[in-house]
Amino acid sequence: MTWAWANRDQLAHLLVSHLYLALMPVLFGIVVSIPVGIMCVRYRWTWPPILSLTSIFYALPSLALFSVLIDYTGLTDWTVIIPLTLFSLSVLIPSVVDGLRSVPPPVRQAATAMGFGALRQVVQVELPLAIPIIIAGLRVATVSSISLVSVGQLIGIGGLGYLFTDGEQRDFPTEIYTGLILIVILAFLADGLLVLVRRWLTPWERARSARDRRRVFSAAWHGSRPEGAT
Amino acid sequence: MITFEGVTKRYPGGTVAVDALDLDIPDGKTMVLVGPSGCGKTTSLRMINRLIEPSQGRILLDGRDIAQTEASQLRRGIGYVIQQTGLFPHRTIVDNIATVPLLNGWHKARARNRARDLMDLVGLDPAMARRYPYQLSGGQQQRVGVARALAADPPVLLMDEPFSAVDPIVRATLQDELIRLQAELHKTVVLVTHDVEEAIKVGDQVAVFYPHGKIAQIDSPQQLLGTPADDYVANFLGFDRGIRRLAFFAAAGLDLGTGTVLSEDATIEDARQAAKRAGESWVLVTSPDRLPRGWAPLAELESRDGHETVGQLTLAPYGHTFRVGQDSLRAALDATVLSRTGLAVGVDAEGHVVGVTSYERLRAAIQAAEEAADREGARTS
Repeated sequence: MTWAWANRDQLAHLLVSHLYLALMPVLFGIVVSIPVGIMCVRYRWTWPPILSLTSIFYALPSLALFSVLIDYTGLTDWTVIIPLTLFSLSVLIPSVVDGLRSVPPPVRQAATAMGFGALRQVVQVELPLAIPIIIAGLRVATVSSISLVSVGQLIGIGGLGYLFTDGEQRDFPTEIYTGLILIVILAFLADGLLVLVRRWLTPWERARSARDRRRVFSAAWHGSRPEGAT
Repeated sequence: MITFEGVTKRYPGGTVAVDALDLDIPDGKTMVLVGPSGCGKTTSLRMINRLIEPSQGRILLDGRDIAQTEASQLRRGIGYVIQQTGLFPHRTIVDNIATVPLLNGWHKARARNRARDLMDLVGLDPAMARRYPYQLSGGQQQRVGVARALAADPPVLLMDEPFSAVDPIVRATLQDELIRLQAELHKTVVLVTHDVEEAIKVGDQVAVFYPHGKIAQIDSPQQLLGTPADDYVANFLGFDRGIRRLAFFAAAGLDLGTGTVLSEDATIEDARQAAKRAGESWVLVTSPDRLPRGWAPLAELESRDGHETVGQLTLAPYGHTFRVGQDSLRAALDATVLSRTGLAVGVDAEGHVVGVTSYERLRAAIQAAEEAADREGARTS
């Protein structure tokens, strides 16, 4: 604690940089995955190739990407942000697709029959109903991203990851633990914040989840599936 | 007026859902499409708002080919109600109902005011306005569905098995509500159901479909029950057709007997005379203001002192009554069958006795009604 307090300026600086490196990829990820997800649902044939692509993003070793990117982007934040963005896409695109597909067919049909245009229907009906699933993906992407930033330390851009390599070299475990704890706290806070955002964005879910809990319980009790479960 | 002109829907793979359908749906009436699953009734309905496009033929709305109108524009002028309601889970009841006015560019406040008027129209408690669909019962959700479909005051209302998912009691209430609304609004309603009772109850016209996309018969429910076009239609309508048809004939057509209706202060001698004159073995005793009290048997009248009043006798219960002004011959027949005297009491709206039935009188009324219906049928066809 004493060490952490004494070095609070440096820690604050690392914290901000860590957050920046972790959240920019998630931000880019969500901005890209919403239109891509909409496209995959609307034009079904685009989904299989895009799903394969996201699996590749997921499997790509960050280290390999760093060494490739470094030739183009040099030792800048982009060298870390780009691989993490690809990683977040591998989580976010499938959640957007799943979320949009979770919209009950009668709701979609009713919207069409009432005269919603295609875009308006997606924005006003389908996306709001997809929010719970999209935010579930966003939570995974955000927490993973916060933890993955430290890998960037391999090329010297790793936010709080600096504390790991520095602590290692100086053989000073306190520094390593401090970094670890700060990253875990960041991850928890970001996750909690997203839960709050979801609650704020989906007021209707409160009424529904109370009822569904009763229903799921009763269904489990009577050995049948709740209506509408897939 | 909605007109189907040789409309066919063929799916890839060769299935023909609707086969060269010609159909005129008149304005301001309820047309019910009824038939077994897979008969093409729902496909036909969904072609009207272009959720499904026909493979051949065309559909005209007020003389205009609907394919010429931009789909979303066309749909905003056609209300649509489905079985699973399709309410938007993320919008409150009032906002669900306001959907189409908002799509049409109304201001939010005006659209919500309109929505509240509609909640009133379909019998929803205004306290539900701010709730979400999940917080309502199935029957209430279906009312919201109807209100939402009516919000922009479209001339046409399409209903796809609207009441199939609710229990029988709620279903009957919703059907009555639809009939009441329709009497007030005179929309062109096209309703799809597999329930022939529902078709007969709510339809002005009923189109019965064969299993494979062709229409077997289009007629008024009364004509349908009276003269089914073929064995298929007769089987589809089910048994008791004759009795069910009586529901379309007013009990007002009955010539009720009044000779054997006596006030309780009449003497037994008077009652004896009345029964003999009418050739009946029971007289109906009423209070002085003509509310029914009960039946007195002729045998009892003959065993008593003629100067006593009929009010002093022990009377048999008068049983089920029927309302002459509102009820049908079916209700009058039912009351007669249930009465152990073989006679039933017809009352007016306030419950005062108008007269009594007998099987003879019913037979004459049914015959007259049938003949009138035949003349009517001959004139329209």
